[in-house]
Amino acid sequence: MAHVNRKEYWKIFVVLAVLTIIEVAVAQIPGIAKGLVVSALILLAVVKAACVALFYMHLKYETRVLRLTVALPLAVPPIYALVLVSEAAWRLLP
Amino acid sequence: MSVAAATHHADAHHGPEEYPKDEYFGTASIGKIGMWIFLLSDALSFAGLLLAYGIMRGSAAVWRHPAAPELGWPAEPSLGINFTAGLTFLLICSSVTMVLAHAAAVEGKRKELVRYLLLTMLGGILFLVGQYQEYFGLWSHGLTMEGLVFGHSGYATTFFIITGFHGLHVFTGVCYLGIMAIRSAMGKYDGGKHNSIEVLGLFWHFVDLIWILVFTLVYLIPV
Repeated sequence: MAHVNRKEYWKIFVVLAVLTIIEVAVAQIPGIAKGLVVSALILLAVVKAACVALFYMHLKYETRVLRLTVALPLAVPPIYALVLVSEAAWRLLP
Repeated sequence: MSVAAATHHADAHHGPEEYPKDEYFGTASIGKIGMWIFLLSDALSFAGLLLAYGIMRGSAAVWRHPAAPELGWPAEPSLGINFTAGLTFLLICSSVTMVLAHAAAVEGKRKELVRYLLLTMLGGILFLVGQYQEYFGLWSHGLTMEGLVFGHSGYATTFFIITGFHGLHVFTGVCYLGIMAIRSAMGKYDGGKHNSIEVLGLFWHFVDLIWILVFTLVYLIPV
């Protein structure tokens, strides 16, 4: 049976809207350490993107194989980014 | 079983269309798997653009350039977060209308399906209008007039390439939605034939998903 759950769609909408407000606030409130701001913003974006993929794109209700087909290749660029960031951070250490 | 046979199978039951169960992909249709594979390759294109942006920004001595009087260039403007947050909210709303369109297709409600597809399309059109305002200005100055010019800096060029490539996706999505709204109004997806609407939804939600990442990485991360 095709997956339809209107209640869940509206719940996710509220989650996305609230997280967007938090993002905008975190980015503009002065006095938070920059590393903390950047980490929080990226975490919030990943949670929002995952909500869209899992619930609106119904990935939560697909088979394991289809979920992995999508998730595994997409994990590679963030890992590369993480490697580059840690490399730069290591280089900048005294 | 072929797609035509599967569709016929659904017609015979007068319920939402179902595809034959596959050992690995369950009842996902060929169209759905095809769209996922396309979206995967598209996501990797965006990943390339965003990685290049991150590497350039991370290694730039100056990212947002001050005025260069010898060239006659003004200082580069910062990006407007609040206006773009509005555009982000607009895309989130259009994702909701898209899932509601799909729900209507599953339940065989043609009028509701067309109405939600048109609302989703409206969200996309308003987003494009907003992006035009941001770039070139409609009711106030656009970024290009304020000194953010393609080719003047890595900041300007990556901004226009990334948001422009995304805008192209929104435009494609608006056309796709328009075509599917017409086909829905003609009754092509009556009787629970929701698969094509779900595949359209995958594309539209992907455009929203990418914007969530672009909004954070390009607009929100402070210089």
